[in-house]
Amino acid sequence: MIRRSLLLLLALSTAASAQQALTFWPSSNPEEIDFAKAITAAWNKANPTQQVKMQPLPASRSTEEVLLAAIAAKTTPDVAANIYPGAISQFVAAGGLYPHNKLADFKSFMTARSGADVLEAYTSADGNVYQIPWKSNPTMYAYNVTLLAQAGVKPGDLATYSGFLDAARKVKAKWGGKKYLYAPNIDPTWWQRFFDFYTLYIAASGGKTLLDKNGKVTFDNEAGQQVFTFLASLFKEGLAPTSSTAANRFFQGEALIEPAGPFTVPFYQQNAPKGFKFDFVPPPMPDAMKGKPVYTYGDPKNIAVFTTAKDPAVAWKFVKFVLSKENDALFMKSTGQIPYRLNIGKDPTFAPILKARPYLKKFLAQGAYTRGVDDSKNLIEIFDAISRQYDAAVVHGQGDPVSAIKKAAQNARDIIDGF
Amino acid sequence: MTELSAAPPLPLVMRRKRSNPWGYLFALPYVAHFLVFTAYPLGFALYLTVHRWDIVGNDQPFVGTRNFQKLLRDDLFFTALKNTLIFLAVHVPLQIVVALALAVVLNGPIRFRTFFRTAFFLPYVTSGAVIAIIWTQLYAGDGLLNGFLKVLHLPPQGWLTSTTLAMPSIAIMATWKNVGYYLMIFLAGLQNIPPSLYEEANLNGATGWQRFWYITLPLLNPAMLLVLVLSTIGAFSLFVEPFVMTGGGPVDSTLSVVLLLYRNAFQFLNMGYASTIGVVLALIIFLVTYLQRRVVEQELTY
Repeated sequence: MIRRSLLLLLALSTAASAQQALTFWPSSNPEEIDFAKAITAAWNKANPTQQVKMQPLPASRSTEEVLLAAIAAKTTPDVAANIYPGAISQFVAAGGLYPHNKLADFKSFMTARSGADVLEAYTSADGNVYQIPWKSNPTMYAYNVTLLAQAGVKPGDLATYSGFLDAARKVKAKWGGKKYLYAPNIDPTWWQRFFDFYTLYIAASGGKTLLDKNGKVTFDNEAGQQVFTFLASLFKEGLAPTSSTAANRFFQGEALIEPAGPFTVPFYQQNAPKGFKFDFVPPPMPDAMKGKPVYTYGDPKNIAVFTTAKDPAVAWKFVKFVLSKENDALFMKSTGQIPYRLNIGKDPTFAPILKARPYLKKFLAQGAYTRGVDDSKNLIEIFDAISRQYDAAVVHGQGDPVSAIKKAAQNARDIIDGF
Repeated sequence: MTELSAAPPLPLVMRRKRSNPWGYLFALPYVAHFLVFTAYPLGFALYLTVHRWDIVGNDQPFVGTRNFQKLLRDDLFFTALKNTLIFLAVHVPLQIVVALALAVVLNGPIRFRTFFRTAFFLPYVTSGAVIAIIWTQLYAGDGLLNGFLKVLHLPPQGWLTSTTLAMPSIAIMATWKNVGYYLMIFLAGLQNIPPSLYEEANLNGATGWQRFWYITLPLLNPAMLLVLVLSTIGAFSLFVEPFVMTGGGPVDSTLSVVLLLYRNAFQFLNMGYASTIGVVLALIIFLVTYLQRRVVEQELTY
C-alpha cells in the first residue's frame, strides 16, 4: 500500500516537472510588474514549448532576504530581476548563482548592449560574472521649482557645500523654521545611508566607493570627513529637522529638495499635489571640487540566473529577450528607469520616450558618472556601522563628525578582520 | 505485620510498565514537539556559540571562545543590555501597578464589567507590529500626542526621537499592550481569595486600604510572583517595538539585546555570535528570575 502510494506520488511529481515552466521573479513595484507581465506574455506567445511563469518577488523587508532564504531552501526561480549587486557575494558564497560567463555568446551580447567597462565592473574577484547588468537609477536631488524660486535660491547654488548651506539658511530665514531646504532621513536602518551619506561620499571623492581595490576601508579620507561635517552642520545649525513625520515633507512643501531617482518620477506624477513642479540637480560637492564631474550613487539593479535553473541555456535565451533593444525601450517607457544600454540618447527607438519625458535626459547624462556598491559580504554590517555614527554624530550632534567617520571606518576594519 | 508483607502490592516498576503504554502515546505529540522545536534548537544554539556560520553556507568552522571574547569587547552588547534594563525598570513596576489596580476595580461591582475586561484584553491579542505602527503615528512629531500638548500650551516632545524619551515611550506602549494579560492573572488570583476573610475584616472595622494591604496583597503572592517573572522575561525579550518603531535608535538608545541578536543573525549572518548573545541572555534571565523567586515567594496561609 505504502509502496503503491509512493510510486503514485513519484509519477505525479515527474509529470508535473515535465510541464513545469521557467520561473521568473521580477520586482514587486506596480510599474515593473506591468512590464514583467507584458514581456512574459510576449515570450509565451512566441515560445509555446518553453513557457515562462512570472511571479513577483514576495513583498518583504528586502529582496535580498527573500532571495537568500530561497537559496538556502533551494527554491530559487530560474531567473530573478532587481538584484542588488551588494548582495551578490553572499548569494555566490551560498552557491545560489550561475556563472553567466559560461553561457554561449554572453560576453559578446553584453558588451554590445552595455559596454565592456560595465561588464568588467560586475566581474567578481574569481573572474566569473554572477550578475547581468540591467538598469541604473542615478541618484539626484529633486527640487520644488516654485518654492526654491520663492526662497531666492537658484538650482545652481546647490552645487557646492557652501552654496547649499547658504540656501538652507535662506529657506530657514524666509519661513521662520517652518520649511527646510533638505530634511535628511534620520532612520538608522543601514540602506537609508545610500541616499545621503553614500551618494554624497561618491560625489565628494570623485567616484570612490567604501573599499579600495584590495578590499581595504578608505572612507575616512578627506572626502568622508567633509561629508560627515557637511551633514552634521545642517543639523547643528537647525537647518534640518531631527524629528520624523508620517507625512511626505517634499509634497507638503516642508522640504524643498529630496534625493530621488528616475523610479520616483511615476510616484511624483501620481501622488504629488496639483500644480507641483519639480526638476533635478546633481548632488552637492565640497567647494574645492567645483567644476569637476559629479559622480553619484547609481542604485543599479541586475538580473541573474540561479543554479537551480532547469536549463540555463533557455533561461539565458529568456534574459536576452528581456534585454533586447525593444524590451529595454518598453522597460524605459513603462517604468521611467534607465537600462544599462549604450547610446540610448542617440538611438531613434528611444527618442519618443525621451521626448515625452525630458527629465530623463538629465538622468541619462548623469548615468555616465555613477558608482554602485562594493562586492563584500560584510557590506550590510559596514553600512550599519556608518549609520550608527551618522545617527550619533550627524543627527544628534554627539561628538565631532571627523572622529565619528574615523570610528565608523575602524569598526568596518574590525568587521572585515572578523572581530 | 508479616501477614501484610506476605501479600505485597505490585512492585512499582511493574505497575508502571503495565499501566503506561497509552500514556506514552498521548505524551508523544508534546514530546516530539519539544524535541524538534525546543531541545534541538537549544542544543544547536549552544553548538553555534563556539562556531561560525553564515546560515546559507554549510561551512561551520570551530572558533573556540572567540564569540565570547567578541561579546566582552562589544560596546553595543553592553549598550543593549543597559537599554533592556532601563526598559525593565520602567515597564515591570508600571505593568504590575496598573494591572493590579485595574484588576481590583474590575473585580468589584461596576457597570459594564465584561465590556471593560474585554476592552483591556484586546490590545494583548492584537498583532504587536500593528500596534507599534499605530503608536508610531501617535508619537510622531506631528502626531496625536503632541497635538494634545499643543492644546494645553505645552511644548511638543520627540517621543521616539529623543534619546532620553524613546525607551520610556516604548515601555509605556508595551505596558498598555500587555496589561490585559496580567490583569487576567490578577483577577483569577483575586477571585481565589475567600470572601469570608473580608467579612471578618469588616466586622473588625478594617478600612479599605487595610483590607487591601493585609488581605488582598499577601494572598495574591502566587499571582504576583507569576506576573513578576512573566513580565521580566517579556521585558528581556523586547524586540518588535524597537524593530518596528525606532530601528534601535536614536543613537542606539532603544537597541535591545534581542534586536542586536536579530541584526547579527539575520542582517549580518553571524549566527555564531548571535547564538552567543542568545545563550548569555538566557543565563541572565535565569539568574534574575531565580533571584526574584527567592525574594518574592512566601508561604502564606490564613
